[in-house]
Amino acid sequence: MLRKIFSVFGRDIRTSMRDSMAIFIIVMPVVMAVAITLFTPGLNDTTVNLAMLRSDDPSHITYMEQFAKVEVFDNIGDIEKRVNKRDAVAAIVPLESGYEIILQGNEPDMVENYTVMLNSLYELGTTKEETTTTMMSFGHTVPPLKTMLVNMLISMTVMLAGMLIAVSIVGEKADNTINAVNVTPLSQIGFVIGKSMMGGLVAMGSIIVSLLITGYYDINWFMIVLVGLTSLILAFVVGFLQGLASDDVIEAAGNVKMILLPVAGSIIGYELLADKWQWTMYWSPFYWAYKANLLVLSKQADWPTVLLCTGMVLILSLAVYFLALPKIRKGLS
Amino acid sequence: MKLLSSYIKEMKIAARGYYFYIEIFFAILLLIILLVAVKENPISKETEFLFYDMPAEMVDAYYSASIAKGDVKAVDDTILEAKAVSFDVTDENTKEVTSYAFGDESYQFKTFEMINTKTGQLTETVYIADSEEAMIHMSYLEKKIGATMSLDANGGILYKYFTQGFETTRLKNLLYILHNESGAALKMTMDNQSVRKLGTIETLNARENMVPVFIVFMGSLMGFFIVMAYIFLDKSEGVIRAFAVTPSSVWKYLLSKTLVIMTTVAISSSVITIPVMGIQPNYLLFYLLLLISTFSFASLGLLIASFFDSISKAFGALYTIMIILMLPAFSYFLPSFDPLWLRFFPTYPLLQSFKEIIMVNTDVGYVLANSGIFLAGGLIVFLLANLRFKKTLTV
Repeated sequence: MLRKIFSVFGRDIRTSMRDSMAIFIIVMPVVMAVAITLFTPGLNDTTVNLAMLRSDDPSHITYMEQFAKVEVFDNIGDIEKRVNKRDAVAAIVPLESGYEIILQGNEPDMVENYTVMLNSLYELGTTKEETTTTMMSFGHTVPPLKTMLVNMLISMTVMLAGMLIAVSIVGEKADNTINAVNVTPLSQIGFVIGKSMMGGLVAMGSIIVSLLITGYYDINWFMIVLVGLTSLILAFVVGFLQGLASDDVIEAAGNVKMILLPVAGSIIGYELLADKWQWTMYWSPFYWAYKANLLVLSKQADWPTVLLCTGMVLILSLAVYFLALPKIRKGLS
Repeated sequence: MKLLSSYIKEMKIAARGYYFYIEIFFAILLLIILLVAVKENPISKETEFLFYDMPAEMVDAYYSASIAKGDVKAVDDTILEAKAVSFDVTDENTKEVTSYAFGDESYQFKTFEMINTKTGQLTETVYIADSEEAMIHMSYLEKKIGATMSLDANGGILYKYFTQGFETTRLKNLLYILHNESGAALKMTMDNQSVRKLGTIETLNARENMVPVFIVFMGSLMGFFIVMAYIFLDKSEGVIRAFAVTPSSVWKYLLSKTLVIMTTVAISSSVITIPVMGIQPNYLLFYLLLLISTFSFASLGLLIASFFDSISKAFGALYTIMIILMLPAFSYFLPSFDPLWLRFFPTYPLLQSFKEIIMVNTDVGYVLANSGIFLAGGLIVFLLANLRFKKTLTV
């Protein structure tokens, strides 16, 4: 039995390597991990962007550079042109006495308030050297935004594994090989496991490499692997259902779009819903997987919580599987 | 005529298929989400944990004055549960390290909501702890900035910030100088700042702001994906070979497929836009840009499809391009993140153009210029795709 399962797995590897899908599923998360590592410092910068005149007092420009990203321009025309561009940039230009703050008019309130406050602090002659403020640090080096992006990457990788199975099954149907499998000694369960192995291994490998690239070395790896494996069970169930429910790639494409909705909805629900409304997302296994991964990545996870989350993913995935079992059996026949 | 009959035939086939209705259903679902789950003015989730190491009367007097002015609102005390944890806190100046170890705790915080007096909106929730330990414990777990305020020998306030560690140097620099001057002096100087706005541009609320994203990523960009799926389906079923022996030319076949996508996207985008935006957008410009951008992305899909035999083989290219084209969404939602290189992605001007269209004062020139660029680019890519398909004869 095991040999037959591995033969399905081996055949899947060979066929997947012939086209670019498996390679993409391996490479894409790694590329995205590199991109997250490169972009996060820019995304995490919450201060304002300022435009200033080159002819301004150099000490004014130097002062502002301590607190904001500053671009320097030759004349007021260039400044107004810059402010009028579609991103949020405020300008501070010298007048005969004092300064004028120029805004486009559609910036968030924070941009105006921040700019007004910075220029006021400059006019008051406030410097860092005379501060009485003490700064303590908890030593967290990873911003929550990066953790959220990496967690989203994990969710996407898991769903890609499911899509790999879906497209692979659509291909099997188009080639009429599913019927051929039914007349071999390999059982339907064996076929399912064999087809799932490649997606699972590829996804787990990609997740681990992505976490290493993004710098999450010191997380609890047992927890992340446990959450990953239970999430993969969910991805496999979804992948099989998508594959078997779709007669052609157009339908598979439509189904992929539909399944993206609960994935994205769960992430948005977890991040944006108030605590008292979080229960409205409990039906979604994607929600539990996302929550567990987030706790592990932010090093706030404990075993009871992780086991609860993975347990919920498992129970909900198995519920979907058993509800869909007649359909899976019918599809495989 | 051949093009029209091809288009009508393709539309009939699409209407019989499952995908066409999925698109419409998906658009209705997104509309419901927009109307029900996305508030026009979302409630701020910003929070801060504070501890006042000073007589309670002083704190009460400060908040009572703020409540009277209308920029603070007192709400019921909040009880927050905190898990057991141990960690170190480092003084950034002296590098002195203090270790903390907490058990499972339940803390009660006096709670105040900070209100924007102009808009009446909640800007931040402030939790005031009874002890510095409670503030540090929650600040650490919630990954929010905490602060202790104490009195110096002259009765002035000393600030001790507890930062997470990932804050930028620029933000920390601001925290260092923020309280050097008295609050009254700072407020007076701020009130005297001269602010000039170049225009009175109406901004979009949070719900309206989501519309361009849905239109670009669920509409125009989906044309790229779906046209590929249509082509590969026809390839696998041998329809294309059959088409090759008819008198109709290849470009008409490709254009009829593209027109089906444009029709689907126009319907699904209308389902989302009209109920949310009403009569505010310039619909002439809206449909012009929508159809042109869908045509351009579908043409790109055709060109990419011409290099592959099946969707499995095209999968890598397809998703890589889609993910790359989605990157400008970061800049759209985070205006402070706007690197120059991101502006060269076609979805960047597309998002901004749709935003312009749905705003009250549309920059017509900007939208028309982008529509022209997309049309020219789309035509060139379509011609290249046509050449590729004619050359390979495997369409």
